[in-house]
Amino acid sequence: MKYVLSFNLNGLPVDTLVKATDTLLDVLREKLNVVSPKRGCDNGDCGACTVLVNGEPVRACLTIGLTVAGKNVQTVEGLQQDGKLHPLQRAFHEHYAAQCGFCTPGMLIAAKALLDKNPKPTREQIVEGISGNLCRCGTYVEVVEAIQAVAAGKYKE
Amino acid sequence: MKDVLYFAPTELTEALKLLAQYGEKATILAGGTDLVPRINYYELKPEVLVYIGNLGLDYIEQSDGKLVIGAATPTAKIAASPLVAEKAAALAEAARLSASPAIRTAGTIGGNLANASPAADLATPLIALGATVVLVSAKGEREVAVEEFFKGPGETVLQPGELIKEVRVPIKKGKSVFLKLGRRKAMTLSVVNVAVYVEMEKGQRCVDARVALGAMAPVPLRCKKAEGVLQGCVLPMSALEGAEFLDKARIEKAAELAIAESSPIDDQRATAWYRRKAGKVLVARALAAAAGVAI
Repeated sequence: MKYVLSFNLNGLPVDTLVKATDTLLDVLREKLNVVSPKRGCDNGDCGACTVLVNGEPVRACLTIGLTVAGKNVQTVEGLQQDGKLHPLQRAFHEHYAAQCGFCTPGMLIAAKALLDKNPKPTREQIVEGISGNLCRCGTYVEVVEAIQAVAAGKYKE
Repeated sequence: MKDVLYFAPTELTEALKLLAQYGEKATILAGGTDLVPRINYYELKPEVLVYIGNLGLDYIEQSDGKLVIGAATPTAKIAASPLVAEKAAALAEAARLSASPAIRTAGTIGGNLANASPAADLATPLIALGATVVLVSAKGEREVAVEEFFKGPGETVLQPGELIKEVRVPIKKGKSVFLKLGRRKAMTLSVVNVAVYVEMEKGQRCVDARVALGAMAPVPLRCKKAEGVLQGCVLPMSALEGAEFLDKARIEKAAELAIAESSPIDDQRATAWYRRKAGKVLVARALAAAAGVAI
């Protein structure tokens, strides 16, 4: 049994056929070839699959795909505008806020979710904002600095 | 594998009809944060998924002297609600400290209860605050105290066909406190958590005390013996007459009794020995903060 799932992905309407138990991560990676959300644990622990659903951060691996019907889903693929990297992407790049890069898409989305709600967070609020995102390489310090730089207005849109 | 059916009803009556029709075959899906990992790891093979996120059960209201929270209200919304912070401080704190931002966005209060983890963070404050859950089915509605809702790890009084509709928290005059000890500060399950509610008459005599422990028994636990030794006690400097003084020694006695009522286990997060030691400290700290006693 397959169901038609229609939603908005990075501003564009998409339709795809899914099973009831397919997660949003399955839908994005396996059906739509949108691979910035990473499959780290499939258990909600690592944060590498974090995406925005209607502007709120969620774990794609814990979200049954069909529940996003009609909603807006945003991934790192939708951060850049007109070929120009998002301020967070530029800040991460310039602050060396990635080593292997596996956690980076989730970190970027967690950071975007935080700054969309709270454009001038304290260091503590930034740490809280990325508290659900694990980085095995230990780039936390650089990630926090990159987010601080964006919050301080050093990277304009 | 057999095809799994999916329904996303938009009316409560429609959802209850589906739950009645599929009975034990139906699995209720809300935020999915506890359910979907079990599907991903093949621990759970659902036959029929009934998604309840479109039923309008996402609300926080004040009505009839109660805080009423819809079952599908996300933890993040509870953590951010000024109304919850004002009327049920321990619940707001538990919501704020649970999991991580992206889990709080999806995970719901009803799901946290229905999943019936002994360490469920929202269960203890709800027990301490004397909250109830409203359960609905095609046959009707019933209201159950949260402290009577759990039967064991993963087991509740919910019957096939039944759904948690909302949580009702009585708004009271006293002070509630929630404390949690995890393996680290964020994104962690409770090694032990404690919620207490204390009401002090004229700020000096304890007229109501409730103590609840999480991750210390097969179910979130209300500790009635600990509560009993606090009732009627007055602050040492009080002009009011009371049975006993509510001082450091009394609070430690209550904490000891609470731990004596518990039955923690050794698991990957902590030993039972450590849970007892740490739990006693947390109960004492929470009671002292709620009663306004220095310890």
